[in-house]
Amino acid sequence: MARLLVQLKLRLLRNALRSSGQAKAGFIVSLIAAVLVAAGTFAGLAALRGNSASVDLTTVIFTLFAFGWLILPLLVFGLDGTLDPATLALYPLRMRSLAVGLLAASAAGAWPLANLVGLLGVTVGLARGGLGLLIALLAVVLEVLFCITLARFVTASLAGMLRSRRGKDFAALLVIPIFALYELFTQLVPKLAGEGKLSPAKFAGVDVWMRWLPPGLAAHAIQDASTGHPGTAVLRLALLAAIVVALGALWIRSLSRGLVTADSSTQSSAVRGVALPFGRYGLRGTVAARFWIYQRREPSSLVYWGITVVVMIAVSIRIILTHGYLGGLISSAVFGSALMAVLHSNSIGLSGPGFGLEAMALTGRRALRAYFSGQNIALGMVAVPLLTVISFGLAAVAKHPVDGFLGMAVDLAGIGAALGLGGIFTVTLPYPMEKRAGSPVPRPADGFTGDRLGGALGTLLGTVVAAIPVVLGVVFTRSDPATVRMPVLVVCAAGYGLALAWTGGRLAARAAEQRLPELYQIAVRSKL
Amino acid sequence: MGEPAIAVRGLRKSFGAKEAVAGIDLEIAAGSLAGLVGPNGAGKTTSLSMMTGLLRPDGGQVVINGLEVWADPPAAKAIIGVVPAEARLFERLSGEELLEYSGRLRGLPAGEARSRAAQLLEVLDLAEDAKRLVADYSTGMRKKASLGCALIHNPSALFLDEPLEGVDPVSADVIRRLLTRFVGSGSTVLFSSHVMELVEQVCDHVTIIDKGRIVATGTTEQVRGGKTLQQAFIDLVGSRADGGEGLSWLGSSSS
Repeated sequence: MARLLVQLKLRLLRNALRSSGQAKAGFIVSLIAAVLVAAGTFAGLAALRGNSASVDLTTVIFTLFAFGWLILPLLVFGLDGTLDPATLALYPLRMRSLAVGLLAASAAGAWPLANLVGLLGVTVGLARGGLGLLIALLAVVLEVLFCITLARFVTASLAGMLRSRRGKDFAALLVIPIFALYELFTQLVPKLAGEGKLSPAKFAGVDVWMRWLPPGLAAHAIQDASTGHPGTAVLRLALLAAIVVALGALWIRSLSRGLVTADSSTQSSAVRGVALPFGRYGLRGTVAARFWIYQRREPSSLVYWGITVVVMIAVSIRIILTHGYLGGLISSAVFGSALMAVLHSNSIGLSGPGFGLEAMALTGRRALRAYFSGQNIALGMVAVPLLTVISFGLAAVAKHPVDGFLGMAVDLAGIGAALGLGGIFTVTLPYPMEKRAGSPVPRPADGFTGDRLGGALGTLLGTVVAAIPVVLGVVFTRSDPATVRMPVLVVCAAGYGLALAWTGGRLAARAAEQRLPELYQIAVRSKL
Repeated sequence: MGEPAIAVRGLRKSFGAKEAVAGIDLEIAAGSLAGLVGPNGAGKTTSLSMMTGLLRPDGGQVVINGLEVWADPPAAKAIIGVVPAEARLFERLSGEELLEYSGRLRGLPAGEARSRAAQLLEVLDLAEDAKRLVADYSTGMRKKASLGCALIHNPSALFLDEPLEGVDPVSADVIRRLLTRFVGSGSTVLFSSHVMELVEQVCDHVTIIDKGRIVATGTTEQVRGGKTLQQAFIDLVGSRADGGEGLSWLGSSSS
């Protein structure tokens, strides 16, 4: 059974590789990333040799790996068929052979191997002497077993939920904190390290409580064995092994339950509210109501806005506390609105087959103008307060809160450009989208990556260029009194942004009128 | 027959080298409940999409109640309702919001759209689930919600693609009665289906399509020609499977 399930896992990986150019590229990137993570982790752990905080840092790294194994399977739940017990429920399999097989399948693949190889860096960094080396090898094996069992336990326990609509929504939203952590790491860590504020010694003592978690037990067992405390080392490893066995037992229990339990897809709660909003505002208000609801209820919309916020903060965080803070404010506003343009440049593809309902009712250019106008109103209702709050927040962090108005001026111009360009591109370069297992947001369907790239580049560059007049206004009026320049800048930028959004909406309506059936055929190919 | 409610002349569509619809002619009288049947890939969905202004044909003409669909798509769309094969809905709206949205898109005042939505949800047996997201609906519930969206503006012609696929018998009966009542008022229904018994039971006009061509059309009695519709259909399009010849190991007497 173990062999069969490992073969199944490898076959699933191979088929994903064969399915499309996009999947192939994704697989190669994932493979390269796994090799880099393995090499980087090994080198990082090995470089801790002789460092006073080596055991603390090793504990942190071991814990991070366990955290990754806890979170990532939730994101790729539908991608790995061996993670979902329901896929095997039809077959007459004994629990023992099934459990062994699933564990073996978990350990197969590039990432588990990268995990193992990377963590073996402790044999150089932390282990001392023959006993230290032996305990290090055992500790790494137990740590990897712990990670795999933990991942299996969590996915088996939550399988019913993860198969349901709510579970998928929840898993999609996890991408926001993960992306934020990634940005924090890539933006802040190099900066702090460069300023000498982050050195290995700073980590001394951080594992006060982490040392009692299973990954901490593994790291400290190596330290104990290397410093002449073999008894404590063996006790720690025995405790870790007991935890792995207990976790395995819990996993087998939830696995047996999962094989005979229905998912929770039919259990749903009712929505609040009695009617669609904006009932008095005709077709424009009707469309705005639908898009407004979608901004709140569709997980990919929430993910898009979350990513926009993270990017706005990330691009400015390095310089917001320096004299060049104004550059940070401006770049945050420009990148925020440009990203918004990119993410909303294919609204018809993102509407999916439901667009058929709209296509049947959009009778003529006037109706299409109302459609794009309603869409812009809904997106603007989210974008304007959100981007403005971020700009004022950053200005407050920079200790120049009034300069938030300058960021706001750039926001307003950028949002207007993003809405206008988004409408034009959704009509002229639409493409079907697909929600795939393992991807928290929809991706372009196979064969449309070029269209996606064209739409992204067009809206990105267009928004940046369109924001330039306001950016120049902000820069060249620096010597004027703030009480004069700020109201003028904000009002002019708002007017400019409105004009861009209005013009874009009208152009989009004109283009859409000629090709509504073709737009529908694109939308209907979306699998959302 | 007077002026037909739905008239199709020389309608054709190709996708690359494949001719999906090879020039079909069809006339459906007002007040008819007409069925369009054919095997998988026969061209039913492509034909219905072209008739409803959702897929541009390579050639031909579609006239609905005197309005030429491809000469003035907006005017034609205003008087028709469509239920697509896959229930193409906005998943993140509740059933109630979806029907109200559909009504308001069709120009109904908000209050009227809300009132009609509530009535349709009641008739379609969805009132208890009105506040649940469409994403949580079963296939049958989606079909019924989709039918509600297609009816809310009181169209004079209704096009349905496999309307009863995945619908339970009780709901199917509700839909059947609703459609019968709808055509009784003089409106016209054209629907595609694989289920011959259903078509034979409810339709007064049947068209059989195969490989993009119409192989028989007329009243149900004419097309049946004294046989069951199922038998007439198989005689016309031919049986394509070998009935499992060669699976000698299959069955309890083998090992």
